[in-house]
Amino acid sequence: GRGGGRGGGAGGRKSAAVVVEPHRHEGVFLARGKEEVLLTRNLVPGESVYGEKRISVGEGDDKIEYRVWNPFRSKLAAAIVGGVADIHMRPGSKVLYLGAASGTTVSHVADLVGPEGLVYAVEFSHRSGRDLINVAKKRTNIIPIIEDARHPQKYRMLVGMVDCVFADVAQPDQGRIVALNAHNFLKNGGHFVISIKASCIDSTADAAAVFAAEVTKMKKEQLKPREQITLEPYERDHAVVVGVYRPPPKTK
Amino acid sequence: RHTMALLVLHETALGYALFSVAEIDGIGSTSPAIQEAMQDLAKFGKICKLTAFQPFRSAQDALDNINQISEGLLPELLHTFLESNLPKVKSKKSSSVHLGVSDPKLGGSIADALNFPVTTLEPVPELLRGIRVHFSKIHKSLDDSKLAKLAKNFQESHLAKAQQALGHSYSRAKVKFNVHRADNMII
Repeated sequence: GRGGGRGGGAGGRKSAAVVVEPHRHEGVFLARGKEEVLLTRNLVPGESVYGEKRISVGEGDDKIEYRVWNPFRSKLAAAIVGGVADIHMRPGSKVLYLGAASGTTVSHVADLVGPEGLVYAVEFSHRSGRDLINVAKKRTNIIPIIEDARHPQKYRMLVGMVDCVFADVAQPDQGRIVALNAHNFLKNGGHFVISIKASCIDSTADAAAVFAAEVTKMKKEQLKPREQITLEPYERDHAVVVGVYRPPPKTK
Repeated sequence: RHTMALLVLHETALGYALFSVAEIDGIGSTSPAIQEAMQDLAKFGKICKLTAFQPFRSAQDALDNINQISEGLLPELLHTFLESNLPKVKSKKSSSVHLGVSDPKLGGSIADALNFPVTTLEPVPELLRGIRVHFSKIHKSLDDSKLAKLAKNFQESHLAKAQQALGHSYSRAKVKFNVHRADNMII
């Protein structure tokens, strides 16, 4: 336990001094105080998902509750804090999330896309899957899929066309896994956001060389990388690659 | 390009949909013109038309079906649906009509059980992408009022609810009926 969900520690409920503003990425928020804290608007006010802190702003009917999104615990949050240009998820987006684990980051993505959006959350581990199913019980815009992301055929009846594929599967053949899912479910001109852990792909090679090799593989699958950032200081030897799938032709 | 008449099967959380495909040059290619036509509902509706739909009759029915489909097996409901909606053919080899499916394993099951020629090759994957793009609006492209009325049930919110319910039941069953005591860990 990380000290329970509510208010423990500095900054928890002492919201008088906290100002929350929209982040550059729509659906993400920033609390400005002594330090800047990343937030998403809680889709299920009154509850934490994994012991994270909550911050309320306003009174009565105007009260809005946010959940703190820790970049040390979420690679997507680390990419946002690290200044990624676009996460390609916004209110109303449909996201296919590969490697959903226990659903901690998935819960923030669900907050972010909101009630009009959908998160298809794929996780193969049954242990994590149990937690993921529980997270999805409260957040009805999450569709839990306990299945192997290597075999999108198995879950094709559960997934519609999506705007974005996010992948954090930490597998050596991650590029291929993303490509298979993109061919089935990612719309033309849709985007992908992939977290790559160099040591999961090749533990002997230099991280930069591993990232470059992965990017080359993606290009062959109509996955066009547009941006790459490392996740220092939050993760070591991690990169996030963002790109577009089957981009529309440039000239008309 | 295909020279044979083609039907395409699309499996969804709501049920099974069968589409007939117009014979058009270059269909299934990733050329800009074809891809643009595939993105446009009116144009796509002329390429690929819904001809029959078999809804699942209950949540349990949907679960039984996805459990077999995900293993490449032919569920009874799908068997009956195809039997009554595919044209009669004398033999697999001489047939001028093919059924396009997404999964080669299910394709094999169908070909064996119904003695009907099945394909998973292009243009099938591209057509299935198009169907997935337009599925919730497909009623707008139909002249057949009976089918159009039925297809109104495919709309976004309805489909999402069905995916959600089936996602939960499918996943709960997976976690519960894990035959290997140890977890199939990723990482």
